[in-house]
Amino acid sequence: MNTAWRLALRDMRGGLKGLRLLIVCLFLGVAGLAGVGSLASAITAELDGRGREILGGDIEMRVAQREADGQERAAFAAYGRTSESIRLRAMASRQDASASVLAELKSVDTLWPLYGRFTTQAGALTPRPTGLDAIVAPALAERLPLRVGDRIRVGETSLRVAGLIDQEPDRVGEGFAFGPTILLSREALDATRLLQPGSLFTARYRIRLDQDQDVRALSERLDSRYRQTNWEVSDRSNAARGLRRFVDQLGQFLTLVGLTALIVAGIGVGNGVASWLDQRRSSIATLKIVGASSSLIVRLYLLQVAMVSLAAVIAGLAIGAAVPAIVGWVAGDALPVAPKIAVYPVPLAISAAYGLLAALLFSLAPLSRAGRVSPAEIFRARIEPFGLPGRRVLALMIGAGASIAAIAVATARQPALSAGFLAGALALFVALWAVGRLVRLVARTLPRSRNTLVRLAIGNLYRPAAQTDRLVVALGLGLTLFAMMAIIQSNLTHQIEKTVPQTAPNFFALDIGTDELDRFRSTVDRQSPGAKIVTVPSLRGTVTTVRGTPVTELKPLPKGAWILNGDRGLTYAATLPEGNEIVAGRWWPADYAGPPLVSIDEQAAKALDLKPGDRLGFSILGVDMEAEIASIRRINWERMGFNFGIVFAPGALEGAPHSYMATIALPDAREPAVSRAVVSGFPAVSLIRVKDVAGQIGEIFGQLATAIRAAAAVTLAAGIAVLIGAIAASRRARLYDAVLLKLLGGSRAQILLAQAIEYALLAAIIALLALAAGSAAGWYVVTRIFELAWAPDWVLVGVTLVVGAVGTLGIGLAGSLPVLNARPAQALRSL
Amino acid sequence: MTSAIIDASAVTLALGKPPARVEILRRIDISIDRGDTVALLGPSGSGKSSLMSVLSGLERADSGRVLVDGLDFGTLDEDALAAARRGRIGIILQAFHLLPTMTAIENVAVPLELAGAADAMERARAELTAVGLAHRLDHYPAQLSGGEQQRVAIARAIAPRPALLFADEPTGNLDAATGEAIMDLLFARQGDTGTTLLVITHDPALAARCARVVEMRDGAIVTDRRAA
Repeated sequence: MNTAWRLALRDMRGGLKGLRLLIVCLFLGVAGLAGVGSLASAITAELDGRGREILGGDIEMRVAQREADGQERAAFAAYGRTSESIRLRAMASRQDASASVLAELKSVDTLWPLYGRFTTQAGALTPRPTGLDAIVAPALAERLPLRVGDRIRVGETSLRVAGLIDQEPDRVGEGFAFGPTILLSREALDATRLLQPGSLFTARYRIRLDQDQDVRALSERLDSRYRQTNWEVSDRSNAARGLRRFVDQLGQFLTLVGLTALIVAGIGVGNGVASWLDQRRSSIATLKIVGASSSLIVRLYLLQVAMVSLAAVIAGLAIGAAVPAIVGWVAGDALPVAPKIAVYPVPLAISAAYGLLAALLFSLAPLSRAGRVSPAEIFRARIEPFGLPGRRVLALMIGAGASIAAIAVATARQPALSAGFLAGALALFVALWAVGRLVRLVARTLPRSRNTLVRLAIGNLYRPAAQTDRLVVALGLGLTLFAMMAIIQSNLTHQIEKTVPQTAPNFFALDIGTDELDRFRSTVDRQSPGAKIVTVPSLRGTVTTVRGTPVTELKPLPKGAWILNGDRGLTYAATLPEGNEIVAGRWWPADYAGPPLVSIDEQAAKALDLKPGDRLGFSILGVDMEAEIASIRRINWERMGFNFGIVFAPGALEGAPHSYMATIALPDAREPAVSRAVVSGFPAVSLIRVKDVAGQIGEIFGQLATAIRAAAAVTLAAGIAVLIGAIAASRRARLYDAVLLKLLGGSRAQILLAQAIEYALLAAIIALLALAAGSAAGWYVVTRIFELAWAPDWVLVGVTLVVGAVGTLGIGLAGSLPVLNARPAQALRSL
Repeated sequence: MTSAIIDASAVTLALGKPPARVEILRRIDISIDRGDTVALLGPSGSGKSSLMSVLSGLERADSGRVLVDGLDFGTLDEDALAAARRGRIGIILQAFHLLPTMTAIENVAVPLELAGAADAMERARAELTAVGLAHRLDHYPAQLSGGEQQRVAIARAIAPRPALLFADEPTGNLDAATGEAIMDLLFARQGDTGTTLLVITHDPALAARCARVVEMRDGAIVTDRRAA
């Protein structure tokens, strides 16, 4: 064994008490990162592992507003068994029309599900939907409310609820649902008479391949073959694409927040190592006296830090690896899919690398200072002047920091975003550090207070070995994150609460038949005279060519070219829709009658470099047509109403089968009556209550905020660990002050007051900094990323900061209590 | 080759920054012969410990020349000084300064291990036996009395057979009887090994046991005499 190892092992006999801060900080940071990474992997693994169940087949062919024709059906069947399913929104109401709910109808055939198992809850009258027997989601039974055996009205028929759904294997793969599912047979679906030309439904054909083959290649082949006829293709390897992307992005964001926590923890690591080495100064000087070199000293303590860090990292990884199981157990119902319980080596390895690199980055400076301890310290105490570490150590530190950044950027799906976040965090780190140094400087140059306690408190901020700057950074980062979250959340909540009631209608009505439009208006008007009803024609279609180039040849699609993604909602209008503004070209005359013209969204136009005069090709209900771009519009998406990216001029679409959508604004009190009248009078119309949707969005955002806050809490916990460590490090000096004050007649209350003043000053500074930095970051996210109006709830932000600052003060004072109880005589002997 | 193991001339040392700068050593000239025993006497603050720091390479002089065993300490950096001390210089301190996490035998073995000796443990055992601590080999410093700790420190300083042995107030933390016994041991070991001994002390009785007595005041040597 070499000398450094031998000496390191001997030195460790002294126990690891001095390295507790390092252990706690590293453990917290790594556990947080490993937890987030493992959970994201566990959800993705579940999606991967159950890809064919979630998709409902190996390949899914999907088309809107029509069913496959005979030729297409035969082509699909050639690949393997094919199961057909049709999904559409519809109102389901109690037989007596006393209550109704927007539901998702899903017709299934006898082959369904091709993969996985469909199960009903106990008490079902039939195991599957057959005839006019439907199996419904428990949420529907709760909301209407009804029991198994009761009947519901859907469209023009009445269905018996023959059971409640327990497991619907392909539910996640079908994306966002407006309401609970009603599973029914094709016969029952036809009986509802909701499938009409122009009504909004999606037909899915899931194929179970006869022979195992490369599904990706097959799906690409099918895509290029069927894209022109509006088909969308998915395969089992990319089932639940939206959910996957969401999990990915959220995981990414939480990882970045976790990385911030690790940086805060790093400060604790640095402080922990510094105070631990400080306790060993005499041993270091002695070793140097007997001939140890600086590099041996650095190696000897680096080895110990490495061993302890490794242990802390392993402990953090163990907890992180267990997070999917813990989250699955605690919050399983809130997750879209249960996390797949397994150990995920990649996120664990990345978290371990982050942890060890952070330990290296933050312990190198104190370690190199230890190497420079002069053996002459044995004879006289010396305070090491503050100085930059040597060039080699500095290079190593920069290397470790750069490696952390490189891993974060390299493993990110959006490297630019990660790099931006890291740059922002680094800038904040440096700014906080500078402010911390400034606080020390200002405290030193302030005129001396006549009040002893105030003088003592201010003196503590700049005394030698004071940790003011480190505390400002550590607690500042944590509190800044909290302030930012409060600002973003309050802005969004504010947006939803304030904007919705003012500009939003009470209902959206979908699928109003062309021939029902007048009756619809009069029905609503009768129930709520003066109600404001706005109707727009609605149909769906796909953009097939851009300036003559097929969209299939544009891959990858330019960012922002959302109008090219699958089939989109289309409308036609004679006048410029409310809330829209022309930014290029001209709106057509109201009585326009000529070749097809369209007006498109500004963002999509920018992405595709489209200008008035360019031509787009469309496929609408199987009919191809070309239209010239007449104008480009800026759409106010915040306005709740109908916002269409593509609007046609009158004349082109009127002949195609289509339906209408409507917004209805009326006094809230009239909502139930209108709802009842529409549901019973128009079986095919779906009625969505805006308040329910807003509530749903608020709920989703609330869950997101909880996840982000949990990650921010790890940052704050690390910050608090740093604070506790700083208090412990300055304990000797504080004990000395307290004992001297007691000797001079100071009471415990006075001593506590001096400390309270110190921590209150510190807390106030940190809270103000967090307010400034959090507001700046929050403003950026709200106005630049979400592109929302700036309306934070300052009360909530203030409360968040006050709670954070008071918490800091409390912990600081709690840490001071043992000092208060010190007996002067005893303390003087040991000092 | 000269018989002087230490040859220092015009050595100055100052600490602190202006205006609080204090001159600790003022142009000291001193030469010490191989195998000699020298007592360095003087009141607190006279510069004794600082001179010892400079002569043992723990601190570098601001100016002047320090030749120790043929090495010019002024030309060596800190690590080269540490290497120069290894096996050449032993130091005994008033506060013992044993490594608290190591046993007696390990404390004595450290300088031998740092010098790369393969038989470090055997030699440490022999050295501790020679200072009468064969029964305390595996005790930690906290489990030893003050006198025992200082004996371990002496064994640690002597084990590498240094050409030079420095002792800074070696009995300062001990009662009179124990101090006496320690000095007996120190001089006996010095006699056995023939090393050069430089002792810093306030104690005239201890100084009287040395062949040469150098007295310092205000950073300068005021008397330098040989015992009759």
